[in-house]
Amino acid sequence: MDVLIQLMINGIMLGSMYAMISVGLTLIFGVIRVVNFAHGELLMIGMYAVYLLCNKLGLHPYVAAFPVIVLLFLTGVLIQRFIIQPLLDADEHIQIFATVGLSTALVNLDLMVFGADLYSVTSPDIRVTVKLGTYNVLVGQLVMLGAAIALVVGLHAFMHKTALGRAIRATAQNRNAALLMGVRVNQIYIITFGMGAACVGLASALVSPLFPATPTVGTYFVLTAFVVVVLGGMRSMYGAFWGAMIIGLVDSLSAYYIAPDLKEVVYFAIFILILIFKPTGLFGFGRGTE
Amino acid sequence: MKLVMRAAYAAGILATGLALSTGAVNAQTKIGALYPFSGGLALLGDESFRGLELATEERNAAGGVKGQPLQIVKGDAVDPNQAVGEARRLTSVDKVTVVFGTYSSSLSLAATQVTELAGVPYFELGAISDPITERGFKNLFRSNPTARDFAASMVDSIGDAIAPALGVDAKSLKVAIIHEDSLYGQTVAGYQTKRAQEKGVNVVETLPYSAKSVDLTPVILRLKSANVDVVLQTSYQNDTVLFFRQAKEQGFKPKAVMGAGGGYSLRETMEAVGAANMEGALNVDFTQYKTNVSAAPGITEFVAKYKAKYGIEPRSGHSLANYVGAKIFFDAMAAAKDFSAPAIRESVLKVDLPVGATASGWGAKFNEAGQNTRVSPFVMQWQGGELVTVFPAKAAVTKMKTGLGSN
Amino acid sequence: MSQQPMIDVQRGSMVHMLAFQLTRPQVYCSLALLSLLVLIPVLSGSAFLIHIFVTICVFAALSTAWNIVGGYAGQLSLGHMMFYGIGAYTTSLLVTHFGLTPWIGMWIGAVLAAIVGAGVGYPCFRLRGPFFSLSTIAFLEVIRLLSIHFVGLTGGSAGLIVPLKIGWAWMVFSDKANYLYIAFSLLLLCLGVSLAIRQSRLGFYLTAVREREDAALAAGINNSNVKLKAVVVSAMLTALIGAFHAMYLTFLEPATMFSLGTSIEVAMFSLIGGLGTVAGPLLGTVLVVPLAELARGWLGASVSGLHGVVYGTVLVLITLTLPAGLVGTFGPRVSALVARLPGGNRRLADRITPALRRIDGTKGEDLIRTNDLVMRFGGLLATDHVSFTLKRGEILGIIGPNGAGKTTLFNQISGFLQPTSGTIAVLDSQGAQGGYVSPTAPDAFARLGIGRTFQIVQPFGRLSVIENIMIGAFLRHPHVDDARAVALRVAQTVGLIEQKDVEARNLPIGALKRLEVARTLASEPSILLLDEVMAGQNQKDTMGMVELIRAIRDTGVTIIAIEHNMQAIMSLSDRIIVIDSGRVIAEGDPQEVVRNRKVIEAYLGEDFVDAQGF
Repeated sequence: MDVLIQLMINGIMLGSMYAMISVGLTLIFGVIRVVNFAHGELLMIGMYAVYLLCNKLGLHPYVAAFPVIVLLFLTGVLIQRFIIQPLLDADEHIQIFATVGLSTALVNLDLMVFGADLYSVTSPDIRVTVKLGTYNVLVGQLVMLGAAIALVVGLHAFMHKTALGRAIRATAQNRNAALLMGVRVNQIYIITFGMGAACVGLASALVSPLFPATPTVGTYFVLTAFVVVVLGGMRSMYGAFWGAMIIGLVDSLSAYYIAPDLKEVVYFAIFILILIFKPTGLFGFGRGTE
Repeated sequence: MKLVMRAAYAAGILATGLALSTGAVNAQTKIGALYPFSGGLALLGDESFRGLELATEERNAAGGVKGQPLQIVKGDAVDPNQAVGEARRLTSVDKVTVVFGTYSSSLSLAATQVTELAGVPYFELGAISDPITERGFKNLFRSNPTARDFAASMVDSIGDAIAPALGVDAKSLKVAIIHEDSLYGQTVAGYQTKRAQEKGVNVVETLPYSAKSVDLTPVILRLKSANVDVVLQTSYQNDTVLFFRQAKEQGFKPKAVMGAGGGYSLRETMEAVGAANMEGALNVDFTQYKTNVSAAPGITEFVAKYKAKYGIEPRSGHSLANYVGAKIFFDAMAAAKDFSAPAIRESVLKVDLPVGATASGWGAKFNEAGQNTRVSPFVMQWQGGELVTVFPAKAAVTKMKTGLGSN
Repeated sequence: MSQQPMIDVQRGSMVHMLAFQLTRPQVYCSLALLSLLVLIPVLSGSAFLIHIFVTICVFAALSTAWNIVGGYAGQLSLGHMMFYGIGAYTTSLLVTHFGLTPWIGMWIGAVLAAIVGAGVGYPCFRLRGPFFSLSTIAFLEVIRLLSIHFVGLTGGSAGLIVPLKIGWAWMVFSDKANYLYIAFSLLLLCLGVSLAIRQSRLGFYLTAVREREDAALAAGINNSNVKLKAVVVSAMLTALIGAFHAMYLTFLEPATMFSLGTSIEVAMFSLIGGLGTVAGPLLGTVLVVPLAELARGWLGASVSGLHGVVYGTVLVLITLTLPAGLVGTFGPRVSALVARLPGGNRRLADRITPALRRIDGTKGEDLIRTNDLVMRFGGLLATDHVSFTLKRGEILGIIGPNGAGKTTLFNQISGFLQPTSGTIAVLDSQGAQGGYVSPTAPDAFARLGIGRTFQIVQPFGRLSVIENIMIGAFLRHPHVDDARAVALRVAQTVGLIEQKDVEARNLPIGALKRLEVARTLASEPSILLLDEVMAGQNQKDTMGMVELIRAIRDTGVTIIAIEHNMQAIMSLSDRIIVIDSGRVIAEGDPQEVVRNRKVIEAYLGEDFVDAQGF
């Protein structure tokens, strides 16, 4: 019983990490309808940036979050403006290949500049174990959970209560109609991609103390992020959050009860089943796979 | 029109590239060096190559082999298909006399299929997968210990070193084998399981996991639930760091942890984990640098040569292993009648160096399959932020400590 | 630059046709260039060059096979290496454990791959674009992880070594040129299959399904069967190549055999060369593979990762500048040049069917009986207990104000919507007893002889006019030549024969409407459903359409037409049904219906009716 609860706590912590990474993808995918295969590389860029700021300039990772968020926002803006925007009306395959090419180039650029070594951010105060009863949790993980909840609630409020948020939702639902209403669709897309990337920037700052940065750290997360986004329904922040929690729990529990090397099989199987039987996501928040 | 011109241009580049890579013909003996110089394995591929490079320079300074200097022709392979291509190129375009390599077992397996069919001798200096020398090849020789040797060393040391140090009966210890699921981890773990069965070691958990994991907590919880005393881990850098960190966080303190090289041998791993946390972690690997000189004569000279050429300390024991192996094979080549494959084979099979005769402490005696039988990896331990050899006694520089973590 | 006049060559015997094909410059130039793939390396005698060309042939073949699913069917599979790996492992395991020659083992692998392909395709084809791609990636990863886990079966990550038995029986050779011959033959096989599909009914159907799923269904195409055929063929070819490559590398491991990176590369070659073309994948491979090898050779050893940066950047640049691929961008110019070579001014003469099939049957018998049809969309009642009967030989007009539910009714009697309740019975004239059946799927309705047009025209934009019509003709005439002959006759009938080679997306609305009718007509329906075919056309075109409809009825076809154009529908119809708010409010002779009070109220409102004193 003890083990089960510890596993579930672990799963929730994992889930909050996935949630932070996937929320940005939900924005990008849900609004711009682009499968951004380079999403994981945004995380990679963020983590290396945090490393440089922390280990070379001595900043605390949570402080480094602010410049990294800005950096990632700008990166997202550039990607949207110069790579995605020219291809908005092209076939979907073209868009997919463009982001795949970007992903390959970024991973190898990182390999060139930093080499294949691991870069760890040292932050002893974040890796402190906190005891919840007899169960162990890291301070950094609790912070991540809090940040994930705050991010999801905040984004949801932003999308529903502000004019910009409404414009984004309108563009997501019908691009041409939004254009006709005077919404500057290209600007909206640029802002949205920037925001999605900025979410990943925040995630990278919070995640950096927990495991090291490598050139391929992004490729591990990108598939999981897509699973979460599909599970949660494409357009819903809350859906992404709950989807991430479910995947985190599945990850932790199946690693223990089935086998650690088969846990990905479990959640890819779930992914496939959802795509086939419930394409609007587990909660039906999204509009599905059209 | 553009298309035709583009095609012609590409063909021109292709032809020029090929012409350039053939190189000039002169009175040197060309030796191929096939390593992963790019891609994810680049770091240790390059480190391995440095050992060959140092051995070659040393040999050339002493007059070369059979009076002729040796010229290295590099081959870079990231995956087996490229390994096949590079092996083809080295043997048929550059026409090297012999090929040295490879660090990565999958690259070695692929490349040697080519060289064997081409009748060109291949000297493996660092890849550990046993099947490399189990295919009945006549022109393949390996100087380093294999996965089976690693596994035997690790499992045997439970009874020979760990149990005595803890003052308990070896059979009472609960052992767990955890490993990453690529070739490296699966191979070593497979042999560990077999050896444990032979020696009556009580293995209570065997857990494979993905090397790219970001979370090993479930693995650790399984070990905790089973009250494991000794953990045998085969891992790369990322998962080693994760394991130590998360074991501490979950309050899992086994009596002993032993790695099979990989992440366990790297300084960066220790720095990421923290010297205090890694204190007492055991490691079986190619000979590292804090080894008793009487068991490994020439080791300090090697380190000095390495520092003089590359400006830093050796990054791992791979360079030493490649250096030692290359020297053994250069001597065999010098003693051979000529550089034909049968003559080289005859000469290699005649090599007879006792254990403790080389800078890595290994001996050299090759069996019919071409595998060096006088290699047994030493057991090292992290003490005070340094990886020191602790077993067997002859090679040890200090005594083995018990327990994990000094905090 | 003057165009040489085209000489028509009559069709004849097999030998005659073969001679015709071989003297076409497109054919002899292609054969000459293809042969270079073998000649260059063999004549050079270099084992290294042979390796490069074997690699080119293998990847070109993989890409060509992939293109059948990714290009023709438009389903971007990014997990195709699952079939390659299945072929490779099956063959190798059979050699190692049972001593079975790979020449047989490769076919067993192919069959296994076909089954897996069907298993993956069937549930996943309905997923659009990126979701289908993601699902194929998920399947690939699952297979890869399972093959690592089951070490006993596959050798796990340590890999599987193919025993080095030399000889043709074992497909392992000391003379490297033999590998090249086999690889080249596999490439020719893939190219041949690709070409055969492209020029056959399956090829047309794949294009139709890819471009407009609904129009394809209406033309009687079973979309999922068509895609399944494509995936089965593609999977089998890919597995055969995997089997050969395993014998070539003699070493298999899950990471390379089930590689996501390679799956993406294979798709990329097709994209660069030209998605959906026959030569595209080969061209893309021939361009990229040597450059990649060179880049790796020059750049790889110097700085780790540089060649990957170059590779990725090139990919991004190509997607931004050449989205149509090499063939799409340079194809027309190259074709024009090639056509100027000797033999390029000849083409096969067109054959036109003398007349379309007459529809037989008892005049006045019930063709469609609908009973109490109800259609609800959530809370909206779109069809409110509608019952009517369609009798053979009549022209039935359906009119009513906008939003009355006319097209909804059409969608139900052509299978595009399932009624919430009520029945539809269709006369099955081909059936054994000639009884009434209740079909459900749109293509089933089409096969029973119900053809429909769409209110918003759905042409297959990238196909020519004649090819569009052929899609319809294929329903009754599986052979390309017959279908073309029928399509030419239909084109004449509707007056589109002059524009037969124009791409559909370049036509004005009047011609598009006629094309829509033509495509449906080519399927030789016994019942024709016309949804506002007069809409948006000028007076002249409208009159032409009226004449056309009459002519069609004279061949025995029964017609239901939804129309807003009162003049047209009045003059055409034998009987009219008026629908308002989902209900039938009037039915009968056109002149009576038009004076019916309820009808006028529905169109013009109560006030008008009162004011007019009706």
